[in-house]
Amino acid sequence: MTTTETDRPAVEPPTPDAFDVASVVQDHRVHGSVYTSPEIFQRELDTIFRTGWVYVAHESEIAESGDYLTRRIGSEPVVVVHSKDGQIRVLLNRCSHRANRLCNADAGNANSFRCPYHGWTFSNDGSLTAVPMRDGYGTEFQKVRSQLGMAEAPRVDSYGGFVFASLAPEGISLAEHLGGAAKAIDRVLDLSPTGKIELRAGWMKHLHHANWKMVVENNVDGYHALFTHASVYDAIRPAKVSHIPAKVDVVVRDIGSGHSEIDYSAEYRKLDEEFVWYGRIPRAKLPDYVAALEDRHGPEKAHDALVVGPSHTLIWPNLFLAEMNVMYVEPIAPDETVAYTTAVLVPGQDKLNQRTLRRSEGAMGPAGFLIADDGEIGMRNQAGLAAHDPEWLELSRGVETDVIDETGVVNSDKSAETPQRGFYRQWASVVGQEIRA
Amino acid sequence: MTVTADVTQAAVPGPLPVPDPDVAAFLYYEARLADEARYSEWEQLWDDDALYWVPMHPEDDPRTRLSYIYDNRNRIKSRVAQLNTGNRHAQTPPSVMRRVLGNMEVLAADEETVTVASNFVLVEYRHEQRTWAGRVVHTVRRTPAGLRLAGKTVHLVSAGGPVNTLAFLI
Repeated sequence: MTTTETDRPAVEPPTPDAFDVASVVQDHRVHGSVYTSPEIFQRELDTIFRTGWVYVAHESEIAESGDYLTRRIGSEPVVVVHSKDGQIRVLLNRCSHRANRLCNADAGNANSFRCPYHGWTFSNDGSLTAVPMRDGYGTEFQKVRSQLGMAEAPRVDSYGGFVFASLAPEGISLAEHLGGAAKAIDRVLDLSPTGKIELRAGWMKHLHHANWKMVVENNVDGYHALFTHASVYDAIRPAKVSHIPAKVDVVVRDIGSGHSEIDYSAEYRKLDEEFVWYGRIPRAKLPDYVAALEDRHGPEKAHDALVVGPSHTLIWPNLFLAEMNVMYVEPIAPDETVAYTTAVLVPGQDKLNQRTLRRSEGAMGPAGFLIADDGEIGMRNQAGLAAHDPEWLELSRGVETDVIDETGVVNSDKSAETPQRGFYRQWASVVGQEIRA
Repeated sequence: MTVTADVTQAAVPGPLPVPDPDVAAFLYYEARLADEARYSEWEQLWDDDALYWVPMHPEDDPRTRLSYIYDNRNRIKSRVAQLNTGNRHAQTPPSVMRRVLGNMEVLAADEETVTVASNFVLVEYRHEQRTWAGRVVHTVRRTPAGLRLAGKTVHLVSAGGPVNTLAFLI
């Protein structure tokens, strides 16, 4: 060594985690590779889906003891189970012996899960209860046997029946994660006379040939509807309110922490008309429902709930409260996503629910009048990304008219890309974090 | 509709009759119009009390369960109107399709209506080739104006999903 330390440039030794998030997300633009790169996709799984809160299920789907669902957190298969002790657990769907996937149904009810490979059996709280022919194991095994339960998501919590899990043992609480987005859940629950909703109508599973972020960021894009969905407005019915920003009090909002929404409430309150969000049906068509809602809230608040309707809100990273529908997404590959959609059911309101089911089928899912076209546009977006020039996607619309208030970053032009900017600010902070080996 | 869960299961006993030739010809015609994206002509086949249904599970009760498609006559009209705009992006351009309708069996018949269950295989080409298959149950009505379609239920083999975009007439 002929030079001293101080003669050398102060460069950190390269580490395996030399990812520079600023090279792909900048103030008002994102690099095309965030939608196409397998390395970035893997990094999203390792960060967003392994360190943060992810929506996994709704309590109404596992209402009875023993009820379970199979879902995924990122790429990890999990069993969401209502254990016999009453607790909701999120167990990794893998036998602790030789890794066989334990639960293979979408949903079911079981006190225990028995591996079909060698018969190891687990209680629905995840503990290992039976190892066939156990004498074949030695004393070393008996010492660790109690640790061989199904692995469990270390943190599970719920809000308004929506169950979230985190694969990280430590981090912010669910309440901190949701922040102002909790109000979007409240807004849906306000429409129920019992204060509860049910997601029990079954999930449409729709394969999108696009990156998962294309699917979710489109859900809070107030700019595309007039173009992507022109065929609906031309052929069937006009949009519920004008698409011309100057004519309406519809705002987009970056709630913070990656949550964002299109908020029609000010416009609806100005119209002071109930059910604008629900095909403008008169309340006389749903007298039992309206009466029950008035019993809960009193006439004034019930009227307001029926005027403002449900939320149109993306809850980071994978849950979309789509008015009277709920959608969540599972990333499969950089260019493949499954979107799951169901209708919001209100307990005891069969007439309302049937109407909601029919509306949901009309708009959502693989044959829906709206989402089928969103899927097509997402696929073409992914195809367009194969062209490498320009390298960046522009998200600057409305940046000069964003206003910060107590609800977040708000833009009174619903076509502003404020939600997308908020999404990528969160994305940069989460995906850009140092990954611990 | 009395025929729901039975059609994809073994509850139907023994061999069943094949449909009359005019009914079979009507179903082939329906298939051809759907394949060729002749939307308005296809729509004209439907009677006023129509139900075009693609459930997620054969045993689902549509009063409480979500379906991929559950179109009454008005919704069929809207679906066709949207396709006819030329701006239904998911079908612009329309899928190139051919389907084979076979194994036709009459599940029920009276003077007015006949219910026919068939197997189908549909090859769709749009960017790439995809195959769809399933059991389709048609309810066909004899009227003074000729045969009319009162019901069409499509039990997709792949109904468990995930399913690709289904914006064409299945």
